[in-house]
Amino acid sequence: MRKNAILGAVLGAMLATTAVQAADREIVIGYQAPLSGDRSQYGEMFRNAAQIKLEEFNASGKLAGAKVAITFEDSKDDPKEARNIAHKFLDNSKIVGVIGDFSSTVSMAAGEIYAAEKMPQLSQTASHPDFTKLSPWQFRNITTQAFEGPYNADWIIAAGKKTAAVIYIQNDWGISALDGFVSGFKAKGGKITATEAFNPGNRDFRSILTKVARQKPDVIYLAMFYEEGAAFAQQREQLGIKIPLYGTSSLYSPKLIELGRESVEGLHLATTFTPDNPDPAVQTFVKEYAARFKSEPGMFAAQAYDAVGIMLDAVAKAGPSVTRESLRDALAATTGYPGVTGATSFDPVTREPAKALAKMMVKDGRFQVVTGP
Amino acid sequence: MVFDVFFLQQVINGLSIGCVYALMAIGFTLIFGVLNVVNFAHGEVYTIGAFVGLMVITALAPPLLAVVPLVLAVGAVSGVGLERIAFRPFRRFTDEASQKSRAMREATLLSSLAVSIVTREIMMHIFGGDMQGIPSGYLLQQPVAIGPIMVASGSLVIFATSAVMLGALQFLLYRTQTGLGIRAVSNNQLGARYVGINTDRTIVTTFAVGSMLGATAGILVGLYDGAISPHMGFAPGVKAFVAMVMGGLSSIPGAVACALLLGVSESIATEFLSSGWKDLITYSLLVITLVFFPQGLFGHGRERA
Repeated sequence: MRKNAILGAVLGAMLATTAVQAADREIVIGYQAPLSGDRSQYGEMFRNAAQIKLEEFNASGKLAGAKVAITFEDSKDDPKEARNIAHKFLDNSKIVGVIGDFSSTVSMAAGEIYAAEKMPQLSQTASHPDFTKLSPWQFRNITTQAFEGPYNADWIIAAGKKTAAVIYIQNDWGISALDGFVSGFKAKGGKITATEAFNPGNRDFRSILTKVARQKPDVIYLAMFYEEGAAFAQQREQLGIKIPLYGTSSLYSPKLIELGRESVEGLHLATTFTPDNPDPAVQTFVKEYAARFKSEPGMFAAQAYDAVGIMLDAVAKAGPSVTRESLRDALAATTGYPGVTGATSFDPVTREPAKALAKMMVKDGRFQVVTGP
Repeated sequence: MVFDVFFLQQVINGLSIGCVYALMAIGFTLIFGVLNVVNFAHGEVYTIGAFVGLMVITALAPPLLAVVPLVLAVGAVSGVGLERIAFRPFRRFTDEASQKSRAMREATLLSSLAVSIVTREIMMHIFGGDMQGIPSGYLLQQPVAIGPIMVASGSLVIFATSAVMLGALQFLLYRTQTGLGIRAVSNNQLGARYVGINTDRTIVTTFAVGSMLGATAGILVGLYDGAISPHMGFAPGVKAFVAMVMGGLSSIPGAVACALLLGVSESIATEFLSSGWKDLITYSLLVITLVFFPQGLFGHGRERA
């Protein structure tokens, strides 16, 4: 008798919980990222950031009547794995949207399947121009040089500088950075005095500097990485050339200042994420991430944090009865998402992100946010 | 294109980069001249010199002039070690057939390449693949104005060092007993052995001297460049090799002259072409030299065993 009563109570309690769960629909987002292998450090950062964002979202009550969960799958940065994961995610009817993958190649391998089977896919980092051209189901939360170049061009023009020389690294990325900047700068009435390529691994920029200095441009625009950027700035100083430097966000690294020291003072660049940004959203994220994972979040963690945020907000907008179709439409309608990588909007047609970038310059040996031109 | 102060500045830029190539080419050519094989690990000796120099600088903060003897010593040790690992095992047979065997000699091409890869990977493992900054007090980057022309203090130091090295080496080769031995072995290893020269010891000495020069080059270029990495030896190594071939393989002054020529040509070419093409200039000069001067610009043509 006593036994039966206990059993009944337990059963009753179980039924009660199921009833509550049934009221709260479970919505799942698939996240594919490299969690093992060479690139696992990136996947690890994505997962950490995603967990913070997910907990924030579920606690916020933005979506009444449903709970969102994220399922992680390890793509090992391998296109074959990514395709298997894509099929697995598609077969799970609870999954309404996918975030990932890390590299453009892997994201596009999975993306072809998502495009054919109609699953919205949002990559935090895939920056290849062709990724969003796959189908209307692909989105990305990272700006490309086609966005950053014109943005920097506007900034330079607004500062009253009309002529620029561009120094770029001779690879696909460097050429896209050159094209982005030059077209933006010319469109605003600026004049390009020279474009000079250098081969990856080059460490001597004196002859380029001398050649460029002869035409006395108002600014020199650098499309390169911090190793070369630091060497370039040092040699510019040695040659006594005073033309101000602007650069791509790829130069944004503490290593630039460590290697370049005083010579990089005054270098301007625009970037999406900076842990020093006084914006409260950024500070909350940085503190929470540092408290949980004992490290300062970098650009990659921030990209993932915002990608998850954009996805979850789109889910909230589509409501508890969200479908893959309605989630895609909600994603495409993203405007002014207040993320830590700047306010993000998706172009409804090209699905390319537009962000308000943080304008920075090196001042007193560190990157500082500049306000105004 | 105008012959103005900017053009003059380009020539000076070219001479500074040429000096960097020359600094490396000196040690490279010395070793080639004796053994008649390319020492692919010379670039790593250069890198080791730079890293040991940086470690000493960060740990002890000694005056710059105290760093140089230490780097010289490290260079000598790595040269002797390199010879022991990559070259000596292929000389263990002393019969005439083995001594004349091209295969035995050319096998060291691969063994030195192997040592170079292993050394580079170990350095990457220890120090990481990133660029390492040099403490600012040691940098040779102060701008020096000579009239309207700007040079970095490092360029002057590297120029002076190349000149001193070249002079000292010419003295060693032509005025000392050791130098006579080196020249004899370089000329004909078997013959040198027959007349009683201790060829093994001569070869070890050559490696020690060549690697001392290589290691010093590494730290100097590191201080001039402001950053070092485990890959730093590769690019100047290729240019030094080209300079050596153009200069006639075993002529040290020839290699130095060609290194300067390469630097100035690259720099002036930037005036006409995009600088992405400057390697094209280097290799075109190499091809032209080989077609019209198969012995190199300064080679005297010698019997190749």
